Amino acid sequence: MSFAGLIARNVYTRKVRSILTGAAVAIGIMTVVALGVLTHSLNRTAVSVLRTGSADFTVAQKNVSDVLYSAMDEGDITRIQQTPGVASVVGVLVAAVQLDSAHPFFLELGIQPDALANFGVSVVAGRPYAANATGEVMLGYRAARDLNKSVGDNIVIDGNKFKIVGIFSTGQVFGDSASMLPLTNLQTLERKPGAVTLAFVKVTPGANIDAVRAKIEHDNAQLATVRTQAEFGRVDRNLRLISAANVGISILALAFGAIGVMNTTAMSVFERTREFGVMRAVGWTRARVIGLVMGEAALISLLGACIGIALGFAAIRLIQRVPELIGVFQPDYTASVFARALAIAMGMALIGALYPAIRAALLSPLEALRHE
Amino acid sequence: MSSGAPATPAIQVMDVVKVFDGGVVRALDGVSLEVAPLEFVAITGPSGCGKSTLLHLIAALDHPTSGTIIVHGRDLRMAGNERFRRREVGLVFQLHNLLPNLTALENIEVAMFSNGMTHREQRARAAELLGSVGLGRKGRTTPPRLSGGERQRLALARALANRPSIILADEPTGSLDSTSVEMVLDLLRAIREQQGVTIVLVTHDAHVAEAADRVIRMRDGHVVAAVDAPPSG
Repeated sequence: MSFAGLIARNVYTRKVRSILTGAAVAIGIMTVVALGVLTHSLNRTAVSVLRTGSADFTVAQKNVSDVLYSAMDEGDITRIQQTPGVASVVGVLVAAVQLDSAHPFFLELGIQPDALANFGVSVVAGRPYAANATGEVMLGYRAARDLNKSVGDNIVIDGNKFKIVGIFSTGQVFGDSASMLPLTNLQTLERKPGAVTLAFVKVTPGANIDAVRAKIEHDNAQLATVRTQAEFGRVDRNLRLISAANVGISILALAFGAIGVMNTTAMSVFERTREFGVMRAVGWTRARVIGLVMGEAALISLLGACIGIALGFAAIRLIQRVPELIGVFQPDYTASVFARALAIAMGMALIGALYPAIRAALLSPLEALRHE
Repeated sequence: MSSGAPATPAIQVMDVVKVFDGGVVRALDGVSLEVAPLEFVAITGPSGCGKSTLLHLIAALDHPTSGTIIVHGRDLRMAGNERFRRREVGLVFQLHNLLPNLTALENIEVAMFSNGMTHREQRARAAELLGSVGLGRKGRTTPPRLSGGERQRLALARALANRPSIILADEPTGSLDSTSVEMVLDLLRAIREQQGVTIVLVTHDAHVAEAADRVIRMRDGHVVAAVDAPPSG
């Protein structure tokens, strides 16, 4: 029998202890996975507003609670445009509305028709809306397909009736799932005259993007530039808070899981005192005793992690049914979430079993053999 | 054996003292003795005389308060305890101390971890040992399903796993019926002959002690007599 075989045998034959320890780990991992996927997915949805058009980076108001509350005026757009290295700036007003119960998160993008090309928009059917039109809208081709609409149809968005004059493509999933209408019209509808939410910036060929971003932030202290999803927290405090809560709860899950592992492992070591005495008496080193206890905890934690991941999937399915999250929460299962879950499970085993393992190793063989 | 040609003793115990509870209990009080290679020695005496304590010191399960123990020319204070127990001695206890969740074969194999053998070699050695103690068909049986005598024979097989030069047995027949006692004693004698090991056996049973070449009697932490056992039969 190999050492690994002995570890597996001990885990299998001590079922109650293994199940109790595994359950503690599984609950912790379920929390980590469900929360991790939820946070990541909400993050992805929130970031989607940055991915509606083609740009080297996006500019928004710094430290707003939600990126949709970002507000910039024409002066901001002009200053950004004048920054050395900037080729084009497209100011876009973004509004998120509920189209119907099946589409609770639908984006309206207010953008002037002469900026459509710079925004990366291709009109694939019909025509662009007129600059001052109040009842015209274009749909991204994904949105049109999803809503079963085509050029010439009417659509009601946020209580306003529009005629669909064109279908567009941006090459961005989120942009192609949105609608576009004249900037001035959306400003009027949203009661935000002269305001835009985001500025999509393209730099001149050969320009250093990071240098351009730094210059814009230096000259406009109230603005922040965003290039990656990881940077999104700079312009969306809510998401930063959610991410922080995720980290905090993961740490708590690790702590509770480790305490669970420690509790059952310590009990097990106490019950098996005589067994460890035998092992030491037949020549086992202290390191091997530690390896046995830690190995058993690691195997149980691994099994608990697998169950926890499965439970996490189930929990996400349940969360998806929450009415407020339908459409907003599209689960995004990334490898990093599961890697973190496994790392936390191994952390639970390491932290939880270390002390009992050391205690087992430090037992005097003679005293251990006398243990009743 | 005691009258054989002079040879380096397998075990030398020199003026060993062992106290417990800060000196309140003096379990061994200046014990000295020698055991020759391949000798079968029984240590007897009443309960509390120090015989088990002496055996534990020879097994490096504990350390003397003072004095020296030399095994095959090596001072135990200089020997790594785990390595010494793994390579030089095989231990047998009154309560056999088998692992109840492992099979008979596996109980022997756990004693062979770190001895450099492959798993296949360990399994073969364990099977060979089980056969040698008459448990060849009980390899997949767990200790709770073995009789008392079978468990003690299994413990003996485990003690032999790493081919030790010395077997140290602490009341190995203490919890056995008379038939099993005879079986274990026969086995010990056979092991000594076939495998060439030195045996030190602690017992309070005079009949068991008679199986040895020499009997060392202890009382109150002292060796009071060392006599050759009468020829058996």
